[in-house]
Amino acid sequence: MAETVIAVNGVTKRFSGHTAVKNLSMSVARGGIFGLLGPNGAGKSTTIRMIMNIFMPDEGQVAVLGSTAGSRGLSARIGYLPEERGLYPKMKVIDQIIFLAETKGIPRAVARKRAGEWLARLDLGDWTAKKVQDLSKGMQQKIQFIGALLHEPELVILDEPFSGLDPVNSKTMREIVVDIARQGRTVLFSTHIMEHAEKMCDHIVIIAHGEKRVDGTLAEIKREFGGQHVALTFTRNAERAARVLADRTLVSKVSDFGATAEVALAANESGDRLLEALVREGVGLSRFQVMEASLQSIFEARVGVDGARPFAMREES
Amino acid sequence: MSKVFAVIRREFVERVRTKAFVIGTLLGPVFFIGMAVLPALLLSRETTGRKVVVIDAGTGEFGAKITAALAAAKKGTGADAESKFVPTLVVAGTRAEEVRDSLVRMTGLSKRAEGSIDGLVMVSESGIAKGQASYLGVNVGSPRDMEDLRGILSPVMMTERLQRAGVDPVVALGAVVPLSLETRKVSEGKLTNESGGATFALAYAMGFILYISLLLYGTQVMSSVIEEKSNRIMEILVSSLTPFQLLLGKVVGVGAVSMLQIGVWTTAAKLLRDYQPQIMKAFGVSGAAGGGMPFMLPSMPTDLLVIFLIYFALGFLLYSAAYAAIGSMCTTIQETQQAQMPVMLFIIMGLMSMFALLNEPNGTLARVLSLIPPLAPFVVPVRHSIAPIPIGELLLSIASTVAGLLLIVWVAARIYRVGILSYGKKASVKDLWRWVRAS
Repeated sequence: MAETVIAVNGVTKRFSGHTAVKNLSMSVARGGIFGLLGPNGAGKSTTIRMIMNIFMPDEGQVAVLGSTAGSRGLSARIGYLPEERGLYPKMKVIDQIIFLAETKGIPRAVARKRAGEWLARLDLGDWTAKKVQDLSKGMQQKIQFIGALLHEPELVILDEPFSGLDPVNSKTMREIVVDIARQGRTVLFSTHIMEHAEKMCDHIVIIAHGEKRVDGTLAEIKREFGGQHVALTFTRNAERAARVLADRTLVSKVSDFGATAEVALAANESGDRLLEALVREGVGLSRFQVMEASLQSIFEARVGVDGARPFAMREES
Repeated sequence: MSKVFAVIRREFVERVRTKAFVIGTLLGPVFFIGMAVLPALLLSRETTGRKVVVIDAGTGEFGAKITAALAAAKKGTGADAESKFVPTLVVAGTRAEEVRDSLVRMTGLSKRAEGSIDGLVMVSESGIAKGQASYLGVNVGSPRDMEDLRGILSPVMMTERLQRAGVDPVVALGAVVPLSLETRKVSEGKLTNESGGATFALAYAMGFILYISLLLYGTQVMSSVIEEKSNRIMEILVSSLTPFQLLLGKVVGVGAVSMLQIGVWTTAAKLLRDYQPQIMKAFGVSGAAGGGMPFMLPSMPTDLLVIFLIYFALGFLLYSAAYAAIGSMCTTIQETQQAQMPVMLFIIMGLMSMFALLNEPNGTLARVLSLIPPLAPFVVPVRHSIAPIPIGELLLSIASTVAGLLLIVWVAARIYRVGILSYGKKASVKDLWRWVRAS
C-alpha cells in the first residue's frame, strides 16, 4: 500500500443555503495522477479548497502530507493552480513568476534561472519582459501553470487545469502533468472533461451534489461497471442506425453523439447480431469496436443528467 | 520572514515603478520651487510702481510730506530697488471733492490707457486732527498693499501730529517703540534656540504629513487589496502565505513607498532652503527683490523627530491595517466609499484634536486624547512641541497605541482572512462579526 498524501475523512462543508460537500472521504496515494471528476457545481473546487486549507470543513478532517494543521505551512511542498486564476496584470512576466516562487520559499536567483527554463519550454521566451496584461488568456494560464510548478513540489493540485486552452496548449500541459507523475510526484486534478481523465488518471473519484459516486482505479471502475460496450462511428445512413439501436434485445443503453455512438450490449450479447443488423440496414461504419465502458458512459450512468447543478460554488463562497 | 519580504519587495518595487509615483514625487519639489519663486517673480515683473495721486484738501504742506514718503518707499532693500509708488501731489483746497470725482474716473483703467492711475490718497486738516486718511483704489482688497500703505503713511501722520502738539518728533518717536516680545523655548530645564512658533508650526506640519500620507497611501493599501481580489490572484497568494503575512507585507511595502516619497520631498525642501538665493537667481529673481515667500524650515529637535517617527509608524500601520480590512470586505472601489467612512472620521478627528489641545497642551483633554490609539499619532507630536510630555505619560501613550494597533491588526487580519476570498456582495456588520469570531 502506497503512502497516503491526501486523506479526506468524512468532510462536510455548508454555505448559507446549501451543502456543497457532503460527508466526503477519499484518499490520494503517493505517485501517479488522481482525477477528481464531477459536473459543474458538484463540489470539486470546494473540496480542493478544503485540501488547500483555504476553506475549513464544517465536519470531518483533511490531512495533507501527513499533517492536519493545514497545507499552508507545507506550501513549499505543494503546487496549486486554483480555479479562480489571476495574476498581477501590470507586473512583468518574469517578475511575476519569481514573486510566486519566492512566496514558496525559493531564493530569487534560483527562481530566475528556473523561470527562464520554463518560459523557454512553454514557448514564452519572447514574452519574459512583457507585462502580464499584454499576454493572451492561454499564455497567462501557462504562466500560472509555471507558478504552480516552479518550486518542484512533490504534490501538485490543479483545479480545472486544461479549461480554456486550445488543443495544442492543452496537449502541452497534459504532457507536463504526465511527466510530473513519471518523476514519482503526485498530481491531483479536477476536470469535467472525461476524455482527459480517462487518458491520464490512475485513480478516479467522481462526485455529484457534493457526494462521492465513484471511487477507484480506472480498471477497477470499468470492471465494476461491467457489461460489454461497443463504440460506433458512422460514415453513412446514421439515421437508420437509430432504429437498430432502439432494439432492447440487442442494446441496453445508448449514448448517441450523432456521427458516433457508444452502446451497452444487452445481456448475453456478443455484438455479432448488432453488427449484422446494422449492415442489413445499410448503415456505413468506419468503426465497430467491442470494449469496456468508457468513463463518459460510466459518468452518465452514475451522475445522471440531474448531476449538474446550475450554480457555481463561488456565488456562495 | 523571507515570504513577507517578498511581498514587501513586490509592493515597493511595483509601486515605485509606476508613472504616477515618479510624476508625483517630482511634482513635490517643482511645487516647492514654484511656491518660493513665483510670488517674487510676479512681483519683480511689475516694473513701474503704482501711480497714486495725493489729494490734499489743506494747504498742501502735509500732502507734500506724504508724497515724499510714498516716493521713498522701495521694493526690496538694494540700491537699485524699484520704487513702490509713483506719487503726484494735487493741492485741491476746498475743491477736493470735485478733484476726487474727476480722478476716480481715471482710476483702475487698463495700464495702457493714457493717464490711468492706480489709486488716490486723500488727506485733510480735519483728517490730521483725527489721525485719518483715506485711500481709494482698485487694490483695497489686498491686505498686503494696505499694510504697506499704512506703514508708509503712519509715521508721517504721527510726526505731523507731534509737531502740531509742540513735541519734538525725534525725541517722542525715539521713546515710542512697540514692545518686542522675544520668545525662546525652554525644554526640560534647558534653554533652546528655537522660538515657540517655529516648533509648533513644525509639529503641525508633521500632523499634516501623517494626514496626507494616510489619505494617499492608506487608501492605496485598500485599493491594492481590492485589486488582488478582482484579479483573482488572491487564491494563489493565500495558498502559500498566511493572511497576516500578506497584510503585513502589504502595509510595510506601501509604507516604505510613502517614506521614500516623503523623504524625497523633505530633502528637496531642505535643499531649497539651503540654496534659495541661487535658485532665485537661476529664475532671474534678484535676492534684492525679496518679497517672495522666504522658504523657512525650522530645525527639527531630535526628541521631536523621534517621537514623530514613532507615532508616524504606529499611526500608519494602524490606519493601513484598517484600510486593508475595508478593502477585503468590499469588491469594488465604489463600495469602499461608504465602508471607509468610520476610518475617515477617526483621521479627521485626529486632525481636529491637534487644534483642540492648543490652549491646554497638558490638560485633561490632551492627556485623554493621547491615550486613544487612533488619535494619539496626531496629538502627541503637537503636544510635545508645545510642552514636553513627561516620559511616563509618553510611554503610557505609546503602550496604549501599540495595544490598540495590535487589536486593530488582529481584527483586521481576521476580517481580511475571510474577506479576501469572498466575492459578490459587500459584507454586512453581521458578517464582519461572524468573520472576527470565526476561529
